[in-house]
Amino acid sequence: MEKTRSKTNEKKLGFWKWAIASVIFRLILIYFPQNLNLSSRPEVSTPVTSLRRLAEGYWLKQLSMSPYAGSMYHGSPLLLSVLGPLTAIKIEGQPNHLLCSLVSVIADFICALLIRATGRILQTARGLNLKFLGLDTMLEDIEIMPSGDIAALVYLWNPFTIFTCVGFNTSPVENLFVVLSLYGASAGIVPLAAFGWVIASHLSLYPVVLVIPVILLLGYCPDTPPRKLFLQRDLQKTGAEGSTKNHVQHRPLTNKPTEATFFWWRVILFFMWASIWIAYVLILCAISVKEYGGLPEMFKRTYGFILTVKDLSPNIGVLWYFFAEVFDFFRNFFLIVFHVNILFMILPLAIRLNHRPCFLAFVYLAISSMLKSYPSVGDSALYLGLMALFVNELAEMQFSFFLFCGYVGVSLLSPVMHNLWIWRGTGNANFYYATAMVYACFQIILVVESVNAMLNHDRKIRKLCTTTEG
Amino acid sequence: MAEDKPKPRPIIRIGLFLISHSLLVSVVCCTAGVLSLLLLPVLGKNTYISENALMPGSARPMLSNDDVSEGERFMNQILRFDTMNTGMEIPEMITAHIMDLGGEVSHHKFLPQFNKFHPLHFFLGPDAGTIPENYSCSSYGINTVGIIRAPRGDGKEAIVLVTPYNSLKITRAEALSLGIAYALFSLLAQVTWLSKDIVWLAADSRHGEYTAVASWLRDYHTASFGDLKHSEICAASNLSKMETMHNSFRHAGTMAAALVIKVTNRSTEFEKDALTIYAEASNGQMPNLDLINIVNYLAVHAQGYRVKVEKIWSLLNVWWLKSLGQLIEMLGKLAGSLNPQWNFGIPVSEYVECTATLASSLYNQALGVPTGPHGAFRDYQVDAITMEISPKFSSSLNNRQYEILLHVGRLVEGVVRSVNNLLEKFHQSFFLYLLTSPSRFVSVGVYMIAFALLVAPLPLVAASLFSDATKSNPDAEEDKSASKPASTLQPAPTFTSWKWLYAAKQVLVVHLWSAIVTLLPYFVDQIPDSSPTTKLSIWIVLSIITLLFLDSFSGSSFPSTIRSRDTEWILLKSVTVAATFIGLCLMSVINFATAEIGALFLVPMCLTAVPLRLDNKVNTLRALIRGACNVIFIFVGFPVTVFFVLKGALEGFDNMRFGDFWNWAESLWAWNSATYIYMCMVHLPCWVLCIQTLLHRF
Repeated sequence: MEKTRSKTNEKKLGFWKWAIASVIFRLILIYFPQNLNLSSRPEVSTPVTSLRRLAEGYWLKQLSMSPYAGSMYHGSPLLLSVLGPLTAIKIEGQPNHLLCSLVSVIADFICALLIRATGRILQTARGLNLKFLGLDTMLEDIEIMPSGDIAALVYLWNPFTIFTCVGFNTSPVENLFVVLSLYGASAGIVPLAAFGWVIASHLSLYPVVLVIPVILLLGYCPDTPPRKLFLQRDLQKTGAEGSTKNHVQHRPLTNKPTEATFFWWRVILFFMWASIWIAYVLILCAISVKEYGGLPEMFKRTYGFILTVKDLSPNIGVLWYFFAEVFDFFRNFFLIVFHVNILFMILPLAIRLNHRPCFLAFVYLAISSMLKSYPSVGDSALYLGLMALFVNELAEMQFSFFLFCGYVGVSLLSPVMHNLWIWRGTGNANFYYATAMVYACFQIILVVESVNAMLNHDRKIRKLCTTTEG
Repeated sequence: MAEDKPKPRPIIRIGLFLISHSLLVSVVCCTAGVLSLLLLPVLGKNTYISENALMPGSARPMLSNDDVSEGERFMNQILRFDTMNTGMEIPEMITAHIMDLGGEVSHHKFLPQFNKFHPLHFFLGPDAGTIPENYSCSSYGINTVGIIRAPRGDGKEAIVLVTPYNSLKITRAEALSLGIAYALFSLLAQVTWLSKDIVWLAADSRHGEYTAVASWLRDYHTASFGDLKHSEICAASNLSKMETMHNSFRHAGTMAAALVIKVTNRSTEFEKDALTIYAEASNGQMPNLDLINIVNYLAVHAQGYRVKVEKIWSLLNVWWLKSLGQLIEMLGKLAGSLNPQWNFGIPVSEYVECTATLASSLYNQALGVPTGPHGAFRDYQVDAITMEISPKFSSSLNNRQYEILLHVGRLVEGVVRSVNNLLEKFHQSFFLYLLTSPSRFVSVGVYMIAFALLVAPLPLVAASLFSDATKSNPDAEEDKSASKPASTLQPAPTFTSWKWLYAAKQVLVVHLWSAIVTLLPYFVDQIPDSSPTTKLSIWIVLSIITLLFLDSFSGSSFPSTIRSRDTEWILLKSVTVAATFIGLCLMSVINFATAEIGALFLVPMCLTAVPLRLDNKVNTLRALIRGACNVIFIFVGFPVTVFFVLKGALEGFDNMRFGDFWNWAESLWAWNSATYIYMCMVHLPCWVLCIQTLLHRF
């Protein structure tokens, strides 16, 4: 019965058709990259993610020099060993970096599939929860979007993702590991979640904050309405068992674990696995950078580079201009201020949204992509894809049209301003930085409005619960 | 939730207020926008030298009579080569003379570049062009480059003088410009104050002046020697021994400024010799205003020239412009009598002249095609202008060579001396401005107001339409559900706030189509032996076919579940208006003039578009007028009609052919003008979407 209903309500999207079309589209773009020259765009590749820098680091390593010499490469040594050989192989008559681009395409595709699987899990959880709350009659009237399919397609067809994929950088791989950890956590596969989290944090540092959503996902279950509702419901049911007999019988007790319990053992297991993976990664790194100063040097050149904002070349973030202007003796202070900004928001958000860990992960990713030191459109691609997982919940989001126009406008205006500043010389840095600030504002509005819409959705569910009981 | 709605924040309240009065606001803003555009000549400021280091005219000109007679002798020598065989005589002679003066010489050989269509050229900067397959050695153009190393400089900066001449058939005027450059060169080879190298480029304009300068600049900046291997083949055949000596490419430093010196035989109608300044480079870029200022300052005050910039002559006799000028003059006088500090009024004749100049400035910038060889410099961030000297009324060049040589030589010497004083590259003055006369300009801060007023209604109207469309349905639903007993479940609204996605999809499809239309000429152009008329017809037919195909492919835009087909067009219009707003704002950054002219067409067209059937249903006078306006705007808004109407208005309707539009569009894309992309990717889709709105079925 469950299945038939979901079939009638869900719309067919033709997922595979569109997914394969997107892959073909990417392959075509990879084959004609010379006109686009995306790999040198500041919006697409940053000092941390650029594959050209990785190729340089690999070259240095081949010459038995430290890959971090000359402040060119700032990524992980593991990535260097995996992707490095691919940058050096040149197939006759084919564009350079063809193999690396293929890796990006594959990473994007797998990432989309994982998003889709996560969406499925979230959707079944949602259906079960609503049913348990006695709101399943509501389901019959509403059109439910297959959020997994939509999110995967949004991720695949987002121009940001496509540009990132074609633009020779490591963002698709980093995004893949972030999504992998979220998938592992929501599916309850602890080792996978730990693996994804460790690798993603190792590659780009900022996913470290995802530890909270991952723990919540493992400890509780995927996103639910507020837990208080279940408690109330349980109390009522035990109180008035006779009157709601039919309801109780229909309730699939076995499917629903007792609410509000926290699976400590899974979390402990997660930490065990995470420490195993961390040890593993560190040992591998230590082996590969043994001759070049060892792990301290690696930490300094990768995480240190990210945290101290050494490279002030323009990007779409808000930090470069600020640190280019700030006096040197305030620099450390403001570095702390900016990074603590991300950390400040973690705890309040975790408390407020603890019943929706996946959504919490989206919010964290959006905030860190706004405040990180070298952001690129690849980060936006990731959180926009994850946002589409919540289409059903965010159906009433405000300003969606305004935000859409804003994103389109900024992403077109930013290259033009860059051109005006760098190539024509008629503009200056302020022109470009203005678009970066506008972009940050739109991201803030997006986060605020989506959180607002989610809380409103929860409020509505609570209201519906009380009305049905009355 | 509906009952305890919190009071919105003040900024949102202001927004809501503006949105609810969008009709009034948009009418007021549009009118104000057009009016402030007409007021721009009045608001123009007098130019001033912004960079103190320039100090124009602070030194006495050193160009002596000896130098001038040297130049005249040189010129007569050139004119003696009456019959040209190889086109090598003049370069050789220039080489010999420069060597005598102690300068360095090199020859730069180039082939004509065929302009290719690079839709993304704007973002990528100048690139190396392709060399045609079949060339012959005799088709080489040969630029002669002479360099004086500055005695007080470090060789890091240079000033470029360009004198284009046709090596196949040199005219007296071109010879005179070479003579001027030579006289200057002989002076500058001796002076002690030079701190920037002087580069004299005698550009061979047999393939066009622009091509010669552009190919030299490309090789100067890319240091690629693409032509060299071809020239080696030819070296044995037709270059003399002396030639091969000077084949290596010589560099000076980065260019601080460049002056293109041209002399024409056309005499002006004025009592003084005239100097016409051409400044517009590709995509409406202008050189720094200081460069124009010093040329203007020295020409007017030191040499007694009359300085002109281009103007649209046909505007000088337009009656409504004159009466507007009278009105402004009257208002200015009135204001002056009230408070002597308010002296904004300008005389009628000056107003009309300023307007004609402003219109020409706008037109040339909007076209995005450089007005002379100086345009090639701007691609490398070098400020450059073309100075065209024409002798005064009823005199020809023949008997006044000496005088012109002396005056122009001293003028250029003064400019070189000023630029020589610069410590940094030009940055002090404006890059974004419109000229209303050689000594008056409208800066970006002023002309942006006109544009901003014109486009301000677009986001407002988009927002108001959007809120109309989203409110109309769910309100009814919510009222119903509120009236229902609470026990029945209120169904969650089905994605009302995302309904615009369907309209966005439709707009996206049309924009996709426009991208295809933009690229089509590239393929149409490959068809051999076809007239512009057939090419244009093929282009139009193919475009229509693609549009129909894409329309049927994308299917019905709105799903049947959304029954409210009357809100459909409102959403469509809202998204169209938003897309147009983004496009216009983007274009105003790339090329302001295009955006301004485009906004004059697009804004009224977008804002008034309402389905004709709706007007038919209502059938009042207001609806009738609105419908008529819509049809007129749509008719006028089609790029082809715009072109023919403007061309007819400026040049007369007599000899107009259908294929002219193709030629025009081809010239735009050959010059990589952003105007072409604007026309195809902003203007055209907006026009199509407006038609779709007009023909909307309920």
